[in-house]
Amino acid sequence: MTLLLAAVLACYTAGTLLPHFLRGRPTLQNYVAHGLACAAGLFGIALGAAGLAAPEPLTASITSTIPYLSFAIRLDPLAAFFVLTISLVGLAASIYALGYVTEFYGRVSLGALGSLFNGFLLSMTLVVMADNGFFFLIVWELMSLLSYFLVVTEHEKAEVRYAGFFYLIMTHVGTAFIILTFLIFFQNTGSFSFDVFRHPDTPLPQGLRTFAFIAALIGFGTKAGIVPLHVWLPYAHPAAPSHISALMSGVMIKTAIYALVRVYFDFLGGQFPWWWGFIILVVGAVSALLGVMYALMEHDLKSLLAFHSVENIGIILMGLGAGMIFQTYGLKEFAALGLLAGLYHTINHAVFKALLFLGAGSLLYATHTRNMEEYGGLLKRMPWTGFFFLVGAVSISALPPTNGFVSEWLVFQSLFLSFHIPSIFLKLMLPLAAAMLALTSVLALACFAKAFGISFLALPRSSHARHAGEVPGSMRVGMALLAVACVVLGVAPMVVVPLLDRIIAPLAGVSIADKVIALDGWALAPVNVEFSSLSSPALALLLATLSLLGLGLVAAFGGLAKARHSKTWGCGINLSPRMEYTATGFVQPIKRVFSTIYQPTVKLEQEFLEESKYFAKRQQFEFHIEPVFQKYLYDPVVDFFLAMAGRLRVIQAGSLHLYLTYIFVTLVVLLLIAM
Amino acid sequence: MSLLSQQLGSQMVNLGSALLLLTCFAIVAQRRLTACVDMFAVQSVLLAATAALVAFLTGIHHIYIAAALTVVIKAVLIPRILKQVVERLNVTRELVMNVNIPASLLICGGLVMLAFFITQPIIPLGFLLTRDSLAISLAIILIGFFTMIARKKAVTQVIGFLVMENGLFLGATSAAYGMPLIVEIGVFFDVLVGALIIGIYTHRLQDAFDSVDTTKLTTLKE
Repeated sequence: MTLLLAAVLACYTAGTLLPHFLRGRPTLQNYVAHGLACAAGLFGIALGAAGLAAPEPLTASITSTIPYLSFAIRLDPLAAFFVLTISLVGLAASIYALGYVTEFYGRVSLGALGSLFNGFLLSMTLVVMADNGFFFLIVWELMSLLSYFLVVTEHEKAEVRYAGFFYLIMTHVGTAFIILTFLIFFQNTGSFSFDVFRHPDTPLPQGLRTFAFIAALIGFGTKAGIVPLHVWLPYAHPAAPSHISALMSGVMIKTAIYALVRVYFDFLGGQFPWWWGFIILVVGAVSALLGVMYALMEHDLKSLLAFHSVENIGIILMGLGAGMIFQTYGLKEFAALGLLAGLYHTINHAVFKALLFLGAGSLLYATHTRNMEEYGGLLKRMPWTGFFFLVGAVSISALPPTNGFVSEWLVFQSLFLSFHIPSIFLKLMLPLAAAMLALTSVLALACFAKAFGISFLALPRSSHARHAGEVPGSMRVGMALLAVACVVLGVAPMVVVPLLDRIIAPLAGVSIADKVIALDGWALAPVNVEFSSLSSPALALLLATLSLLGLGLVAAFGGLAKARHSKTWGCGINLSPRMEYTATGFVQPIKRVFSTIYQPTVKLEQEFLEESKYFAKRQQFEFHIEPVFQKYLYDPVVDFFLAMAGRLRVIQAGSLHLYLTYIFVTLVVLLLIAM
Repeated sequence: MSLLSQQLGSQMVNLGSALLLLTCFAIVAQRRLTACVDMFAVQSVLLAATAALVAFLTGIHHIYIAAALTVVIKAVLIPRILKQVVERLNVTRELVMNVNIPASLLICGGLVMLAFFITQPIIPLGFLLTRDSLAISLAIILIGFFTMIARKKAVTQVIGFLVMENGLFLGATSAAYGMPLIVEIGVFFDVLVGALIIGIYTHRLQDAFDSVDTTKLTTLKE
C-alpha cells in the first residue's frame, strides 16, 4: 500500500514536471502528461480500494522545521473512498484529454496545461489524505490556485478572465473561513495535527463548536457551491476546458463534502444540537431546488451542467443533514443510513457529472459552440457521444437502472424515516424536504429531456451542427469508462454498500451493511426491510426483459406491415429547423409557473406591415431571468468596497516618493513612541 | 582570547561600522550615478570585512559564509547589473534630486543622531562585543530609506534599498551575531531577485516614459 501511495505521488509529480522539459513538442507533451496521469489514476484506484479494505489506516509523515507544520498523510477509509473517486474520474478525464487537447495545439501551451492538470489531481489527492491542518490548508490553496489557472486557460477571452477572477475571489473568501475553522481547533488544542483535533485534551466549549460549525459550512460550502455561495460555478465551470470542468465539477467540489464530513463527524465527534442537522438539510434542499430551477433556464450546455452541480451538492447535503438530525436523537442506524446515502450520491454524482461534462466537451469539440440552440440532429452524426450522454442524462435524472436512482432512493428513504424522531417540528420538516427533493428530481428530468432532446434529436439548427462528426477514439473511451461505472454503481449497490459501511461505521458508531443489504444481497432496504426495499439488479433485469419483449413483439407481429421510408408529413410544407421546438420554448411553461422565483423580463418588439397588423415585418424576442443572488447579495457588497476604495484614493497621489515618505514618517514616529 | 584583544576586536568592529556609515554619507553626497554604484560596492566590501571580523572574534563560522556571499552578490554581481542598466538605458549621468545635497547631508546627520538617541537605552542591555554597532546600523537603515525618498531615478532607489539591506545585515550581525544561515541565504536570494526585478522595472519605465524618473509614474493615476 505504501508502494501504491508512492507510485501515485510519483506519477503525478512526474506528470507535473516532465512536460516542461519537452518544449515545442505538443504531441509528446500531451502523451507524457496525460499518460502519466492515466497511470496515476490506475494506481490511485488500487490505492483507494486497498485503503477501503485495510483494517488499519495507512499513515506517513515528514516533519518540517516550520512550527506546527508536518506533511502528514493518513489514509483512513473516508480518505480512501475519496482517493478512489478522484482517481476514477481523473483516469477517465486523462484518457479523454489525450484526444480533446489536440484542439489546443498551437493556441495554448500544452506543457502548462498538462502540468497543471497533473498538479491539480495531485493536490486534490493530497487534500483528502492530509492529516495536519497546516498541510491541508497548503494543498487546499494549491488546489484552488491550480484550478484557477486551468479555468483561465483561454485567457485571451474577456469572459474567461472574468470567470477566473470571480472564482478566485470566491475561493479565497471560502479559504478565509476554513482557516478560521482550523484556528478555532488550534487555539483549543495548541496543535494543527488532525489527530489532536480528533481527541482534544479538553473538549471545545459549545459556543466555539457552533462557531466552528458555521465557519466550516461557509468555508467549505463556498467550494461545494451551496446556495447562496454558488454564484461562481456557472461562470468558472463553462470557462475551463471540458476535461477540467469534469474534474472541477465531478471531484473538486466533492473535496468540500469530504472536509465537511471530516470536520462534523470526525473532529466534532458526531455530537450535534438538532438545529445543525436542520440547517444542513435546509441548505441542501434550497440548493437542490434552486440549482435545478436555474439549470432549466440555461441554454449554455456547460452552465446548465454547472447549475446541476449545485443541485446535486444539495442532494448530498440533504443526506448528510438527515444523518446529523438522526445522530442528535441517538438513532444511530438511521444516521448511518443518511450518511451512506450522502456518500453514495457523492461518488455517483462524480461519475455522471464528469461523464456529462465530457459529453458536453465532445459537443464543443465537434461544433465549437456551447449554445444548445445551435445544436440539433447530433445523434445521427455522433452516435457514440449521444449514447454516452444519454446514459449520463438518465443517471442524473435518477432513473433506474443507473446509479443516480439508487442513491436518490436512499436519500428519500432516510428522509421518510423521520417519523422515528420525537420532535414534532422535525417530523413535519423532513417529509417537506422529501417533497422538495421530489420536485427537484422531476425538474431535473425535464431539464435533461430538454438538454438531450434539443441537442441530439430533430434537425440540425446551425451549420456547426450540420458539419459535426464523431469525436476521436480516446475521447470515446474516456466517456465509455464513466458510462460503465454509472451502470455498475447502479446495478451492484450490494458491492458498494459494504465498502461505504466501512467508512461510516467509525463515524456513526454502528455498522449497518448487513441491515441495508437484504434478501441475500439482491435488494437494498433502509435498515428495516419491512419498511421498504429495492432490488436494483431485478429492476435492471425487468427493464431489459420488458424492452426485449417489446422489440420481440414488434418483430413477431409488426412484420406484417411493410416498412415504408418517407419524409415526415408537415401539412404540405417542407420541414425546416426553424419549426423545431427551441430550448427556450421547451421551458416556457416552467418559467410561467415559477415566475416569482425567476423574475423574468420579457421584451417583444414587433414591426408590422402598414397594410395589416397580421403580417409582421420584424420580430425580436428577448428574455432573461433576474440573477437574484448576484443583484441583491453580491452587488451591494461590491459597491460598498468600491465606495470605500474611492474614498481612500485621496491619499493615493501615485507618487512613489510620497508613498516612501508615508512609510518613513510612520517608522520614525513609531520609533519615537517606542522610546 | 585575552581581555585586551577582546577590547581591540570590539574597537575594530566599531571602526568598520563607522566606515560603513561614512560610505553612506558618500553615497548621499554623490552627483554621478556610477559613482553611487561604486560607493555601494565599497560599502559592501567593508560590510563583508566587518562581518568576517566578527566571525573571527566569536568563532561562529557561518558568518564567514554570509560575508563571502556579501562580497559575491552585493559587491560584484549587483553593482554589475546596475551598471549594465545605467549603460544600456543611457541614463543621464547626473542625479535628479528632490532634496539638494547640503540639505540631504544635514538631514542624514539628524537621522544619525536620531538613531543614537533611540538605541541609547537598548545598548547597555546587550552583552555582545558588537553591541555598539546597533546604533550605526539603524542610522544606515534610515539613511538608505531617506535616499529612496530624496532621489528621483529608479536606479538610485535600488541603491537606497540595498543600503537599507546592508544596514539590516550589520544590525543582525551586531545584535545577535547574525541570523541563522538559512535565513541569511534566503535574504541574499531576495535581495538578488529584488535587484533583478527593479532592473526590469527600470527598463519598462524607460520604455513607457522615455525616462527612469519615478515621479513620472504619477501619470498612471487617472
